[in-house]
Amino acid sequence: MALTRRQFIKRTGLLTAGGFLAPGVFRNPFLERALADAMGDKYLIILQADGGNDGLNTVIPVDDGSSGALRMRYEVVRNTGSGGLQIPASALSGTEIDDDLSSGTPLALHPGLSGFKTLFDAGKLAVIQGCGYPNQNLSHATSKGFWQTGDPLGMLPGTAGWMGRYLLSVPYGPLDISAVNVRTEVAAEFAQTGTNVLAFTKLKTFTFPYDDYDPGDNLAKRTAYSAVCTAASVAAETTRKFLGNAGGATLTASQSYPAIEATYVADRPTWNAGYTTLHSSLANDLREVAKIIYAVENNVDPAVCARFFQVRNGGYDTHSNQGALSGRHNNLHVEVGAAVEQFYNDLDNMPANGGGMVSDKVCIVWWSEFSRRINQNSSGTDHGSQGPMFVIGGTVSSGVYGNHPNINVLNSQGNTIYSQAAGDPYRSTDFRDVFGTILRHWLGVTDPTTIFPLDGGDPTKFWTVPHFDLGFLP
Amino acid sequence: MGDATTVLSDTDARHLLRRTGFFISTRQLKSFTGKTRGAAANSLIRGAGTRFKPRVRYNVDDVDLEREVHDNWLNYMVSTTHQFQEKLVLFWHDHFACSNVDVQNLTFMANQNQLLRRHCKGKVRHATFKDFVKAINKDAAMMDFLDTVRNRKNKPNENYARELQELFTLGVTDLQGNANYTQDDIVQIARAFTGWSTQQANGPGLKYGDAYLDPVQHDGGAPKVVYTTVGGFGPSGSDITLGGSNPPEAEIDTVIDIIFAHRDSEGQSTVARFITKKLLEYLAGPNPPKTVIDEVIANSNFDGSSDPSTAWELSALLHAILVHDFFYATAAQPSSVKWPAHYVVSTLRQLKMLLDYTSFTKTITVDGNDKIVSIRRYHLLNDTDNSNSLRDRLDDMGQLLLNPPSVFGWDWELAWTNSGTLLARYDFAVAIAQARGTGRTAFRPDKLVDLGLTDPGDVVDAVTALLQVQDQFPVASAERNALIDYLTDSVVNPPPLDLRDVAYRNRKLHGLFCLILESPAYQLQ
Repeated sequence: MALTRRQFIKRTGLLTAGGFLAPGVFRNPFLERALADAMGDKYLIILQADGGNDGLNTVIPVDDGSSGALRMRYEVVRNTGSGGLQIPASALSGTEIDDDLSSGTPLALHPGLSGFKTLFDAGKLAVIQGCGYPNQNLSHATSKGFWQTGDPLGMLPGTAGWMGRYLLSVPYGPLDISAVNVRTEVAAEFAQTGTNVLAFTKLKTFTFPYDDYDPGDNLAKRTAYSAVCTAASVAAETTRKFLGNAGGATLTASQSYPAIEATYVADRPTWNAGYTTLHSSLANDLREVAKIIYAVENNVDPAVCARFFQVRNGGYDTHSNQGALSGRHNNLHVEVGAAVEQFYNDLDNMPANGGGMVSDKVCIVWWSEFSRRINQNSSGTDHGSQGPMFVIGGTVSSGVYGNHPNINVLNSQGNTIYSQAAGDPYRSTDFRDVFGTILRHWLGVTDPTTIFPLDGGDPTKFWTVPHFDLGFLP
Repeated sequence: MGDATTVLSDTDARHLLRRTGFFISTRQLKSFTGKTRGAAANSLIRGAGTRFKPRVRYNVDDVDLEREVHDNWLNYMVSTTHQFQEKLVLFWHDHFACSNVDVQNLTFMANQNQLLRRHCKGKVRHATFKDFVKAINKDAAMMDFLDTVRNRKNKPNENYARELQELFTLGVTDLQGNANYTQDDIVQIARAFTGWSTQQANGPGLKYGDAYLDPVQHDGGAPKVVYTTVGGFGPSGSDITLGGSNPPEAEIDTVIDIIFAHRDSEGQSTVARFITKKLLEYLAGPNPPKTVIDEVIANSNFDGSSDPSTAWELSALLHAILVHDFFYATAAQPSSVKWPAHYVVSTLRQLKMLLDYTSFTKTITVDGNDKIVSIRRYHLLNDTDNSNSLRDRLDDMGQLLLNPPSVFGWDWELAWTNSGTLLARYDFAVAIAQARGTGRTAFRPDKLVDLGLTDPGDVVDAVTALLQVQDQFPVASAERNALIDYLTDSVVNPPPLDLRDVAYRNRKLHGLFCLILESPAYQLQ
């Protein structure tokens, strides 16, 4: 939630005028219309698979198809037996998806992702293969930074996130909460926004605490707290200033957000219980998103107007004990598949404000900072390059987009090679084309290069020509 | 401009003690005021770390047994006189971050904690920072966490080789933004670490957890040459396999020697700049300028450029930081956010509170036998709810000790503070105010504040001073006025306050402490 100086002045003016006490008072009554004009009546949920997901054991070649010899190579690089990661073709019959477009190789999802297979068959899930960026940097931190700033070559000054840059164009007011990150910190995609981004893990515990011994003093305490934060928000020192703003926004949000929990729990008991039975942190986190969306759709509280979400799922750094049909990686697939399927179905059965179902207003995008090494080590995989992304939503067109990475030709590090050469049957999908397609076709950004600056350099090796019409969204 | 001979003012002494500890004792403040920066730094750094090791009763992967190890360390931080040491152990726990979620071995985690303490501020006999990193190479928790124990000839695992360079010693890029190493360097270093394992039981000559090399699993093939292609700088082409005098066991030490000889694109020691910058960020504040980094290195001879025989001495580096103007300049503009552990330990120590505990029993399986074990869960007085243990509260604030979120450790500064983690701090503040009772675990503002004070401004100032808020709320500041309004319920020309009135005190004095603990100023150090 770092602010540029310009945004800060803009926000401070309002804060000092009004303080933090009255959520919604400064809410632009035309906010919804303005939002609708800018981006449509939409939600975007970003799912981060943290640690580098093994793409080759996520979208798996079933056999060699008409050409390409992908399966043959797969069986060479992924062992059987103890520590082996190979998924036998026989285990893939239940999760087959479309063929790889250029090689004709039949593809399947890892059997653990049966939840995704269900969504795929329902026409709601796009598989986008071979996603990455030029000169893959195999460091977690650097690579995540590239995905989250959307600026691998460092063309832009500063460290703003790509969602942060986008949100500057959305007419949220300075006290509106545009985005919620269901995690312990604001995700880097959302860095440097002009609006407030909240981070919390549970709505229920997101309450401003008061002394139980003396509730009669609560109002006085709230008034004092608000004044202390307002005072800090005009401090000369930037960190103190930031803390003043964050404290004020937190107080505001704490008065609107926790109350919406009860509404969801009362109105949707079966769906609520459905998440519980999955026993996963991702399911719990997505349920918090569902509660907020439900509140927005039902106008439970005018101060609850967030449209953008980020949820993280960790554990993908499977250097060892990765497992094939069972074990760590399989468990992650099961967790994600089941949680996303539950979440989508919840929204697909949630009447939308304005008619239809909420699922048609939702786009979910899943990413990981890199894939993993093609040749496995004794029981796991080291850091790799291009891997798949998934996009899920009511208006998404199911299918396989982009090409499978060429696992027959590896660079000196044993990783697949990023290519933008036109006509290359293994041409990579730049991740900025995926996010850019969402910006253009979902959020109505005419020219996403204002968010994602193009690379320079050799057009076969760098992202110099955008492809913001990948086709998975209308 | 000051140096080691500059005499500490009261403000300087407070700043030094605040940044190198959790709370400022009157005795220490008195002894430091009027001392020189150098003498004060010496007295903080003097002596190697203590031998304290968090107690492990049963080495079983169980959350409540881990809780005991956690709470044992936390209580040590609350009570120890070695405040600077523990503040540095936290730093190294973040730097050499290992999580018991993956290691699942309390003995290894506790041993590592002790290793960090032993080396945390140097002055270890015959052991420098370079030796510290060599010890980390063979630390059982680290070897498990970053897969050294799974790194085998023909099946190399690059995890440790990468993070050793990226996070522990060099950084991905130098201060100019140039790459410090290549993927091939990672591959070669990973080869040097092939074949290492840890002892699974006590044996002749080797104890449980000791590192040893299985030569069969060690890659003794082609030469392992590193730093050949990094932009024409660095110690180009150093070979890890130095020949006959260098047995395979020594290769992982040689790796560290070569890394420590690495030069950045300006010809400076990459390791020295990397670690100096990070320590400056921790102790002084964000964004130390390059000139300061280089001065601190030169003044401490940390890179050995003026005398190789005394290079890499952490105590000298810390001394150079603690006498530098940059360190004292950050007193005027505090911009460093307290870590959750600092926040909690500082608050408890300033309020002279110890933690209360609840005992419960649970059945755990030790060596195949079920055993009923009594466990203590530490929490604030009256705050007995299962999810309100100090460990859980720290988790909610974003810092679950022994479980850093990844090998990157925790994100610092503003990343500590968002709506969720701020509320967790406020929740702790309220729980403090609610710790009503008697004894050493109770919150006793009546014992901490002069109950004869009647002017609301004086009361605000007394509590602010007691809580050692770095940048006190000055007279007529909006913060101070807001707190005065709180004490007087905004009555114009209020009558004198009566802190001896129990009802008033329980309401407003408790509330005032709580508000200051929640204030932006208190989050800073």
